[in-house]
Amino acid sequence: MSALLELTDLRRHFPVRDALGRRRGAVRAVDGVSLSVAEGEVLAVVGESGCGKSTLGRLALRLDDPDEGGIRFDGQDLRVMAPAELRRQRRHMQMIFQDPYASLDPRMTVGQAVAEPLRLHGLVPRAGERARVAELLARVGLRPEHADRWPHEFSGGQRQRIAIARALASGPRLIVGDEPVSALDVSVQAQVINLLQDLIREFRLAFILISHDLAVVRHVADRVVVMYLGRIVEEAPAGRLFSAPRHPYTRALLASVPGAGVKAAPLQGDLPSPIDPPPGCRFHTRCPHAQPVCRERDPPLAAGTTAESPGHLAACHFQDTLPPAAPAADHPGGGERLARLQAFFAPKPDIGTAA
Amino acid sequence: MTTPPTANPPPALEVRDLSVTFATERGPLRVLDGIGFRLQAGRTVALVGESGCGKSVASLAVMGLLPPSAAIAGTIRLEGREIAELPPDARRKLRGADLAMIFQEPMTSLNPAFTAGDQVAEALRLHQGLDRAAAMRAAVAMLEAVRIPEAARRARQYPHQLSGGMRQRVMIAMALACRPRILIADEPTTALDVTVQAQILSLLDDLRARTGTAVLLITHDLGVVADHADDVVVMYAGRVAETGPAAQVLATPQHPYTVGLLGAAPRLDGPRGTRLATVEGTVPDLANPPEGCRFKARCPFRIPVCDTVPPLREIAPGHSSACHRAPLESVLEAAA
Repeated sequence: MSALLELTDLRRHFPVRDALGRRRGAVRAVDGVSLSVAEGEVLAVVGESGCGKSTLGRLALRLDDPDEGGIRFDGQDLRVMAPAELRRQRRHMQMIFQDPYASLDPRMTVGQAVAEPLRLHGLVPRAGERARVAELLARVGLRPEHADRWPHEFSGGQRQRIAIARALASGPRLIVGDEPVSALDVSVQAQVINLLQDLIREFRLAFILISHDLAVVRHVADRVVVMYLGRIVEEAPAGRLFSAPRHPYTRALLASVPGAGVKAAPLQGDLPSPIDPPPGCRFHTRCPHAQPVCRERDPPLAAGTTAESPGHLAACHFQDTLPPAAPAADHPGGGERLARLQAFFAPKPDIGTAA
Repeated sequence: MTTPPTANPPPALEVRDLSVTFATERGPLRVLDGIGFRLQAGRTVALVGESGCGKSVASLAVMGLLPPSAAIAGTIRLEGREIAELPPDARRKLRGADLAMIFQEPMTSLNPAFTAGDQVAEALRLHQGLDRAAAMRAAVAMLEAVRIPEAARRARQYPHQLSGGMRQRVMIAMALACRPRILIADEPTTALDVTVQAQILSLLDDLRARTGTAVLLITHDLGVVADHADDVVVMYAGRVAETGPAAQVLATPQHPYTVGLLGAAPRLDGPRGTRLATVEGTVPDLANPPEGCRFKARCPFRIPVCDTVPPLREIAPGHSSACHRAPLESVLEAAA
C-alpha cells in the first residue's frame, strides 16, 4: 500500500507566556512525529490527555500549521501549497469531532449542513442537491425527511450520523475522527462504530482514529501508534500491539483498562509537564523497568531484534529484553451461552431507523 | 469480592420501591419507577445503565439533593432508619456525616477560591467540631490517606494547581473525612485518563476495605463493574432490569438488555473487526412510556406477554431479572 498521507518529523510547540506576556518555554504538543496512512487503512492514534494526539490530527489536515516537518497528501506537499489550492484539496480531507452537539450549527437544518460541502466545492448542481443529501442521509441510517429538521431535534447518536454524512458529502479520501464515539452511550456507540467500519470499507477511506478507548481501537484499527508527551512510543499492526506490546507504557495502558480483573493500578503518578519533559526517555519517571541509561539517552523509535513484525516499532532501550507482557487475564466471559444470546442482537443493515 | 453479605445487621442502605416524578411542561415525568436495592457495609454496589436510565436521579434521591419539584415516593433506609421522610434540616445533617458523594468532574465540585486543605478541613470543622488547627492537621492526614504525594504542600494549593486525578483524590478525601457510612461515587473516573482511573478505583477499593464504608458506584462502564463491584443493578428507563452478584450477572445475564449491552461494548479480549452487536432503536420517551416491559420495542425476544409489566423475579439465588422470558436458557432451547 502506498501512503496517501505522509507526515515527517512534525513538530508543534505552543508558546507559554507569563502574566506579562514574556515567553516562558513551550508546550511540546507534537515533538517529532512521523507516520503514514494508506488508502483503506484505519490508523489509530492513542494516548492520554495531553499526549498530543488531537494536535497531531489537526496538523494532519493542516487545520493547524506545524513549526517544522512535512505533510504530504497524495504526493503533494501541503505546507507549500497556495491557499486556493489547499482549499480545493480540502474536499478530500475531512474531520469528525467528539461532540456532535458542538460541531453542528444550530441555525442550519440538517439538509443545509450536509449540503454545505457540496456547494463549497461545487460538486452537485443546485437541482440535484436535495437528492444527493437524501442519498447521504440514507447512507448513514437517517431518513430523507430528516433534512428539513434542526440539529436540536436529534439524539447524540443521530447527530454524530449527521456529522458523518456531512464529512462524506465532498467525497473525501481521508477522514480524521477525533474521539468520534467517545461521547455516545455504549449501545449507540456500537451502531456508529459499525457504520464507520462499513463506510471505510465501501469508500476505501484512509481513516485516522484519535481515541483514548483501547477496546474501540483494538476493534477498529489496522495499525496503532501510541503517543506519550508529544512522541510516538510504539507503532505496530493492531494485532501485534495488543497481543505483544513492546513498550512499558503501552503495557501499562492496556493493563489499566478495566474489565481484565486487574485490581492494582499499573502506573503511579501523573503525566509530567509537556513544558518541561523529562530528559532521556520521557517515560522513565513512571517506568517500572527504568535503568540509569533511560535518564540519559532518548531511545529512538525502531524495530527491535525480537520484534515479530518488521512494522512493530518501539522507543525503548530495553524492548528486546523486557519480560514478556502479562497475558490478558481470563475475563469472566459469558462463553457460548452469551454468544448465542447476543447473536439475536446481530445488527441489521442501516435503513433509516438509526438511534 | 466473594465474602457473603452478613444477614443480621440492617444493610447500610436499603432502597425499596423508590419512584421519582418531575413536574414538567409536558406533564409529569416519572424518571424512576419503583426501583430497589440493598447495600451492605464494606461492599460496593454498582448502578449501571445508559444516559437517562435514572441512575443519577436514584443517587441524588438517596442524598436528598433532588429539587423540590421532584415528588419522591418509597423507602430509603440508612442502617435501618427511614430517611426519605425526614425534614430538609435533618437530611442536611446526614450529608457529609453519614452520606457523602463524589462526582464526575471534580473541578466543578471544588471551590476554586479555597485551598485543597481548607476544603477538606471544612467538613471536619462542620461535622466533627474540630478547631481550625486540628481540622487542618486531620485534613493533611486525609490527603495522605488518599495517596497525594507531599500532602502538606498540596494542602496549601488551589484546585487549579492540581491535576485531574489529584482533584478527584481531594474530593474523595473531603467525602471520607467524616467517615461516612455510605459513599456515592457518580461516574468518579469518567473524566480521567485510563491509568489515573485505575489509580482512583484501586484507592476507593482500599479505603472501602479499611473503613467499612459502603460504596454505591454509578457507572456506565461494565469493565469497571467487573473489577470493582460486588453486586450490580442494571437499570433501564427508570426501572431495574436485572440485579445480582456482579460476576454472575456479567457472565450469565438474565435480561435481554444486559445481553445487548455486553455485546455492544468492544473488549480487549473480543473479536476484532467484526460488526458489534447493537441494541437497535432508542430508549422510550418517559413522558409517554410503553405499556408493559419498557425494553420490548428493542428486544429480539419479545412475545405477547411483554405488554404486561414484568416483575423482578429471582432466577438464581440473589440474581433477579425483570423479564418474562427469563431464565433466558428457555429462549435458546426454543431456538434450538
